[in-house]
Amino acid sequence: MKLLTRAFRIAFSNIKSSIDVCAVSVITIMVAFSILELFLLVFANLNSLVETWNKQVQLIVYLDDSVSKKDQSTLENLIANNKNVQATSFVSKGQAWTDFKKTFSDKAAILNSLGFNPLPASLRLQFSYSSDRLKAIQKFAKTLEAQNGVESVEYGKSWILKFETFLAFLRLFLLAVGGLLIVGLILIISNTIKLSIYSRKEEIQLMALLGARPNFIKWPFLMEGMLQALVGALLSLGVIKIVYLYMKVQFQDSMASLFRGIYIQFIPDSFAIYILAGSLFSGWLGSYISINRFLKSELK
Amino acid sequence: MIQIFNLYKTYKGNTQALIDISLEIKSGEFVFLTGQSGAGKSTLLKILYSWENFDKGQILINGINIAKIREDNQYTLRRKIGVVFQDYRLLPRKTVFENISFAQEAVESPSERIRFKTWEALKKVGLTQKKDSFPLQLAGGEQQRVAIARALVNSPEILLADEPTGNLDPEIALEILKLFEHANSQGVTVIFATHSAEMLKARDYRVINLGKGRLISTK
Repeated sequence: MKLLTRAFRIAFSNIKSSIDVCAVSVITIMVAFSILELFLLVFANLNSLVETWNKQVQLIVYLDDSVSKKDQSTLENLIANNKNVQATSFVSKGQAWTDFKKTFSDKAAILNSLGFNPLPASLRLQFSYSSDRLKAIQKFAKTLEAQNGVESVEYGKSWILKFETFLAFLRLFLLAVGGLLIVGLILIISNTIKLSIYSRKEEIQLMALLGARPNFIKWPFLMEGMLQALVGALLSLGVIKIVYLYMKVQFQDSMASLFRGIYIQFIPDSFAIYILAGSLFSGWLGSYISINRFLKSELK
Repeated sequence: MIQIFNLYKTYKGNTQALIDISLEIKSGEFVFLTGQSGAGKSTLLKILYSWENFDKGQILINGINIAKIREDNQYTLRRKIGVVFQDYRLLPRKTVFENISFAQEAVESPSERIRFKTWEALKKVGLTQKKDSFPLQLAGGEQQRVAIARALVNSPEILLADEPTGNLDPEIALEILKLFEHANSQGVTVIFATHSAEMLKARDYRVINLGKGRLISTK
C-alpha cells in the first residue's frame, strides 16, 4: 500500500513536471478511444434495434380461400399445442382488406376499382421471447407450410438473418479495430513513458545502485502510464457522451417515428467498464515494456 | 569477507578487462586498489556491486556467491554496499539534505527515521550548515562529502570508492580519505581505488595492484 501511495505521488509529480508531453499523450489516447467508442455507440444502437425487431417478429399463416373448417381446426389445434406460441389472432379476409384500404386510404380509388378482395385470411402468431426464438419460428413455419389449407407462411426471416449477419460482422470489425487501437495505445504510452524515464535516467540508476527494489523503481512509471491512459479514456467517454446528446436532440424524434419505440441509447455501462479496464491495461503494459527495457539495457 | 576466484571479464569487441583475478579482502579491512587507467579497477568494483556481469570465476561476499543472486534480488546485495564515485553522482535538483534522504527512501526506510539519520550523516561529514544548498553550489570536496554521507547513511558493510579523490586537491583528498578511515574504524570494509602515488604513500594499507586486467601484486 505504501509502495502504491508513493508510486502515485511520484507519478503525479512526473506528470506535473512534463505536463506538455503528457497532454499530447492523453489527447492521442482520447482520440483513439473516441474512435472506438463511436463504433461502439453505433453498434449498441443497431443491436438494440435488432433486438426490438426480434421481439416484434410474428409468424403470419396465410390461409387458402378454399380452406375447409376441418383443416382450419387442425391448424388451430397444432398452434395451440406449440409451447412457444404466446398469442394467436385470426384476421379474416374481410378484415385484412379493410385494414389494407385504411393503410392506403390515398389510393382508395384504385383499390375500389379492383372489384374483388385479393387478400387471404390469416392467423398471426406471437412467440414468447427466448434466445433461440428465431429457430423455433423457422421450425414451426416449416411444419405449418406443409399443412392442408395453408397458402404460405411469412416471418421476414431473410432480412432478420441479413441484419444479424451484418451485426456479427460489425462485432468482429469492432474487435479488430479495438485490438489495433489497443496496440497503438500501448506504443504511444510506451514512448511517452520512455521520455519520462530518460528525463530521470540518473535518478533511476542511482536508486538501483543504492539498493532499491525493482518494483520500487518500476511502479511510479507504471502508475504514470495507467493514469495517462485512464484520463484519456475518461475524456473520450465525455466526448462520446456529447456526441450522443447531440444525436439524441437531432435525431431522436425522426428515429422514434421511423421505428416505433426505438430510442437512441448511450454505450452500455459494461462496455464503458471494458474501455476503462482496457485503458488501464494498455497504460500498464506500455509503461512496463519501457521501464523493463530500460532497466535491462542500462543497468548491465 | 570478499573472496574472488579466477575472475574473467571481457567487454564487447573482445576487450579483456579482467584476466584470472583471485584475491581475498577480510571483513573490516581497508585496501587500496590501484593501477593505471584501463587496469580494470572500475570494472572490478562494478562487478562487486553487481553492475556488470562477469564471464568466468566466482565471487563470494560474506559466503554468498553473487553470480547465483537472481536479477530481481540483486538489490539485497547492493544494500550491503555503499559506492562513492569520482564524479560524485549527486542529483542536481535536490538539496544536500534531499540527496542523502534519497538513499534512505530508495531502501524504504521509515520516514520518521530518515530525518534523524540524514542529520547524523551530515554531522559526520561536517556539512550540517550546507543542508539546504544544491550540489552545484558546493566545492568539489564538499560534493564528495555529500556523496560519502549518502553512501554511509544506510550503514553498509562494504564501502567501494572509485577514484573518490581523483578530482580533488591533495589536501582535500586527505580529508576525504579520513572520512573513509572513520567509516573503516566503525567496522566497514573499504576498497579505495586510486592511482595517486601520494595517496598510497600517505598510508600503510594493503595495496592491490592491477595492470592490464591482471593482478600484479597484493601486499
